[in-house]
Amino acid sequence: MILDNLHSLKFFLPELALTAGILLVILSDIALKGLRNRLNPLLTMVTLLLAAWFTFQLNDVPAASLFHGMLAIDGLAQFFKLLLLLAAALVVLGSLHSTELASVHQGEFFALLLAVTLGMVLLANSTHLAMLYLSLELVSLASYIMVGYLKTDRLSNEASLKYILFGAISTGSMLYGLSLVYGMTGSLSLYTIRDAFLNQAPEGVSQFTILLILVLTMAGFGFKTAVVPFHFWCPDVYAGAPTPVTAFLSVAPKAAGFAVLLRFFFSGMSQANGTHWELIRGIDWPLVLIGLSVLTMTLGNIAALTQNNLKRMLAYSSIAHAGYILMGSVVLTGDGVRAILVYLFVYLFMNLGAFLVVTIIYNSDKTFDIEDYNGMFKRSPFVAVAMAVFMLSLIGIPPFSGFMGKLYVFGSVIDKGLYWFAAIGALNAAVAAFYYMRVMKAMLIEESNGSPAPLQISFLNQALLVALLLPNVLLVIFWDPIDRWTSASARLFGGI
Amino acid sequence: MITLQHYLLLSAALFSLGVFGVLTRKNAVNVLMGIELILNSANINLIAFSRYSSHGLDGQMFAVFVIVVAAAEVAVALAIVLTMYRLLKTVSLDRADTLRR
Amino acid sequence: MSVFDIVFCIVALVTIGSAAIVVLSRSLIYSAFALLFTFFGVAIVYVMLGADFLAATQVLVYVGGILILLLFGVMLTHRLYNLNLKTETFQLIPGLLIALAVFTSLALAATQTHWKRVEKPVAATTETIGKLFMEEYLLPFEIASILLLVALIGAAMLVRRRSDA
Repeated sequence: MILDNLHSLKFFLPELALTAGILLVILSDIALKGLRNRLNPLLTMVTLLLAAWFTFQLNDVPAASLFHGMLAIDGLAQFFKLLLLLAAALVVLGSLHSTELASVHQGEFFALLLAVTLGMVLLANSTHLAMLYLSLELVSLASYIMVGYLKTDRLSNEASLKYILFGAISTGSMLYGLSLVYGMTGSLSLYTIRDAFLNQAPEGVSQFTILLILVLTMAGFGFKTAVVPFHFWCPDVYAGAPTPVTAFLSVAPKAAGFAVLLRFFFSGMSQANGTHWELIRGIDWPLVLIGLSVLTMTLGNIAALTQNNLKRMLAYSSIAHAGYILMGSVVLTGDGVRAILVYLFVYLFMNLGAFLVVTIIYNSDKTFDIEDYNGMFKRSPFVAVAMAVFMLSLIGIPPFSGFMGKLYVFGSVIDKGLYWFAAIGALNAAVAAFYYMRVMKAMLIEESNGSPAPLQISFLNQALLVALLLPNVLLVIFWDPIDRWTSASARLFGGI
Repeated sequence: MITLQHYLLLSAALFSLGVFGVLTRKNAVNVLMGIELILNSANINLIAFSRYSSHGLDGQMFAVFVIVVAAAEVAVALAIVLTMYRLLKTVSLDRADTLRR
Repeated sequence: MSVFDIVFCIVALVTIGSAAIVVLSRSLIYSAFALLFTFFGVAIVYVMLGADFLAATQVLVYVGGILILLLFGVMLTHRLYNLNLKTETFQLIPGLLIALAVFTSLALAATQTHWKRVEKPVAATTETIGKLFMEEYLLPFEIASILLLVALIGAAMLVRRRSDA
């Protein structure tokens, strides 16, 4: 059911709330100084909660296509909206007591954060190439600015310069690839593109051009999800950006990138058939993705082994996790899509938790080096144990929720018969354990180098740490609703 | 006879020159110029396909949005470059390497 | 060879030639001015493809906006008393090889693929584009305005001198 502009508006309320929030935050910034420091985060949280509430209202709406085929409302759209809004809310809370951001004027920060969230929500639901490109660029532009937010800090500026140059090149290449898709099919709507590919005579789909298109469009998607070989920006940007921004970049745009990857390949380049998808003859995109997944996992994990800066290590770790998540996309089944959703959901909590600990330690010690994490257990057992939980979850050890992510992803791959692929994944997870364990060892066992003064943590950060710990520990017990929610969400409009 | 292929070859040449510029230039503003070449080549593609391969004007609409995005991107990129100049008194990319320790 | 073909060859040569100057010249000012010719060349190509509105937009936005911004960027990031606007390069040979490889693959794809072919007359586009903006492309139009707002806020925030804590 394709809706026109006027009738789409009532399904567009979350995004409208976000837009109103952006404008209100900008306006509130001209209020009195004391008032606006409290007003800005409050307005942002209210906007995010309102958008989430509107999203819940849309839960039982039948699948539809909005604004003349620009956006889709379906299970997948609902899942990503909620996930992205949750990520944004957690990052807003985590940024309130960050010393890095306390030194700069924060009004624009919240407006940019809301803009990124709006862009990501649109990106995750785009079914039209023009909408895809525009929302990708909205997310990217606001992210470039957020990364360079500390204007007087050399590292922040360098990170944003590298980010924008690399990002512009990647999205420019993706644009060239999208133009080639347009030329082959004559349309910008994903569904018409798929039909055009289906209807072409077998010899009409030129293999070389399809390969070129896949490489070029993966330049854009791979950039957003930090997949090798489009990951070069990731360690530098993560290390230089303010830590709350890094935390946000590592979970939210990555999730939105995977959403658009799913939609582009599943709705645009495959044919839905009951419970799974089939490839269109001549377009073997899973092959390319399998190769990228193996490269990404391996390179990410190996590079993380030698890092001493926590932010760089977590950057390479998130590159490796992108490799695991890609595994779920190549199997072309509903299980694979569900595995991606599960992994992104648990990944949110464990990664944000790890970055929150990094922020807390930076707040008092002004360092990101792993040597300065030695002996943290004596200074604050709570923080050390929390980090241990996040590390174990990232490794994927039961009973922490990170294990569920890996279970689903490896399970879907094994179900398809790709045993060697799952074996590579498992091997990588084992290798990854080394660098996560290194952090745990430093914090729990090693002796402290500097002063053994107890760690100062604000109450808000403590509460947030607990809020992020609980899902990591308890989700496994209350797993059934999560399983049902992600299974129901693995439905794409125009697909299964 | 000028056909679609001629336009595509033109845009391929522009894209390659843009890639060359991006890979070999040290000055950040110069790299930006290379990026603009890449975006222009994609735009030529879109408009050529709109003329020869599509019933409507979708390609031209997409191209308008690309121009809009390019303008916004250049503005932000130059803001970042100016900030770098204020901090380091240079915009040469080989001086922007402190993150790689 | 009709007049159209000759004009196309000239325009293509000018565009590619000036793009080459942009990426090869040792002087930054020459690069910026060569970019001017490239943008104009592209605008003429748009006219030859029947996209009149887009040609005008290209001239207005690219030449009138983006190029001016780039010139500002060039001028503001050099010490003016030491007008040393030379620029250096990274290794040329690997870059050249990669660019040649890219061109070969793109040219191969351009000539070997069966592109979708549609016969249609060339008509004035402005009215149709205007209608499309208000109907099918309304949502991207609005999102583009938010994107411009974000760029405006971001660029202004990054560059302003007044430190406001």
